Amino acid sequence: MRRLILVTVAVLMMPATAMATDLEELLAQGKEANYSAEQIITCSTPEGVKDSVVRIRQSDGDLHAAASVPSDLEVTSGSGGWTLSQAGSVITSTSLDASGIEAEPRYELDEGTPAAFLGRRVTLYEMRDGDLLRARLIFDTQLGAVMKAVTYSADGTVYCERRFITFDPTPPVLTFVRHADDIIDEEPVDSDLPEEIAGFHRLDEYAEDGLIFAYYSDGFFSFAVFETDVVVELSDAARIIIDDDEYRRAFDPGQVTFVWETESGGMALIGDLPPDMHQEVLAGLPPPGRASWWGRIWRGLFG
Amino acid sequence: MRHAGDTISAYLDGELRPEEVHRLLEHLASCGRCSAEMTALQGVRSSVRSLPMIELPRGTLPEAEVTPIPLRRNRGFIAAVAAAVVAAVIGIAALVTPPPESISVEDLNSRFGARLSLDPAFGPAKVLVPETVELQR
Repeated sequence: MRRLILVTVAVLMMPATAMATDLEELLAQGKEANYSAEQIITCSTPEGVKDSVVRIRQSDGDLHAAASVPSDLEVTSGSGGWTLSQAGSVITSTSLDASGIEAEPRYELDEGTPAAFLGRRVTLYEMRDGDLLRARLIFDTQLGAVMKAVTYSADGTVYCERRFITFDPTPPVLTFVRHADDIIDEEPVDSDLPEEIAGFHRLDEYAEDGLIFAYYSDGFFSFAVFETDVVVELSDAARIIIDDDEYRRAFDPGQVTFVWETESGGMALIGDLPPDMHQEVLAGLPPPGRASWWGRIWRGLFG
Repeated sequence: MRHAGDTISAYLDGELRPEEVHRLLEHLASCGRCSAEMTALQGVRSSVRSLPMIELPRGTLPEAEVTPIPLRRNRGFIAAVAAAVVAAVIGIAALVTPPPESISVEDLNSRFGARLSLDPAFGPAKVLVPETVELQR
């Protein structure tokens, strides 16, 4: 009896975090799952609802995604490679070598709730930053695939919902042809990009001709910052003012892009950040500015 | 800088300091009115200077009034010509300067997508299929 009381007390005294599930471990399992699915993405953005239907095939860490509406684009990605194609023609392709530094964990998952989804046994997890609910994630219990992910803004409203509407656990055959032309190696870069911005850690940096880019993550959300010596073009972007600075911004389903001109060229941010994070993250980066008249002539003449 | 009438005259007379010249030239690049005024002033000066020299018969003017032009006036003329040349070079440079080079966001998307695929969170919760890509390549 005494032993039973001790065990009970020990269980009751366990901190809540000890009951929590490791987010990274679950995501890693999801990355290794093999399946085919159709996914609906719906995002409520300041520029209206952005949605898409994506056909997904995932095999051994590589993922093929095709958006049938409106342009029949296909993305094949995995292990540092990314290829965008249409009707078999490659539009753009990149391969990266990275050291694989992992982000400091910012979020905690609860212990999970068993449920059913699309006729399969799943587990529903809530992902929180302290008391702030940031995501609800549904993982297939058997395969580990992320069947549904709902992300939230800080005010509790839904930012993006991604959910499977069909699911086939049969391992697909996936051929991912990597294009060696565009391999970029991680390099030591002497940039002025901060190591940490608003809870996001810079994991690695890359340098090409006239382009530096860095990848930031907080363990779930992530973004890349690009610093170039030329202007970044972004068609159909809205002009917005944040803290008296002018940016151009565009939303795709699940993705936001900012571009702005600086005294030495241009910058861009691409990521999956909920809207409430934008201001704080942009405040941590070099601000918009314009090259002087002399500077523009000099750059135009001599590069 | 507001209307730079007096400054333009001083500039043509070579009386401005280098930093004032720099400020004026920047202003001229963006102010059509002042730029036109400088062109007009330069034209007037150039016309006057191009008039033929007439040698007056001796005794037309009292001796005291035919003293040679002081060297300082010549220096002003040289400075004005130099400034006009500089202005012309700047104007031509501004005209021939090509628009700034640019990089499309699709190229950056490709790099972000490649790096994202190495992220432990990569998967259907994060996969990106850009829809605003420009397909004319």
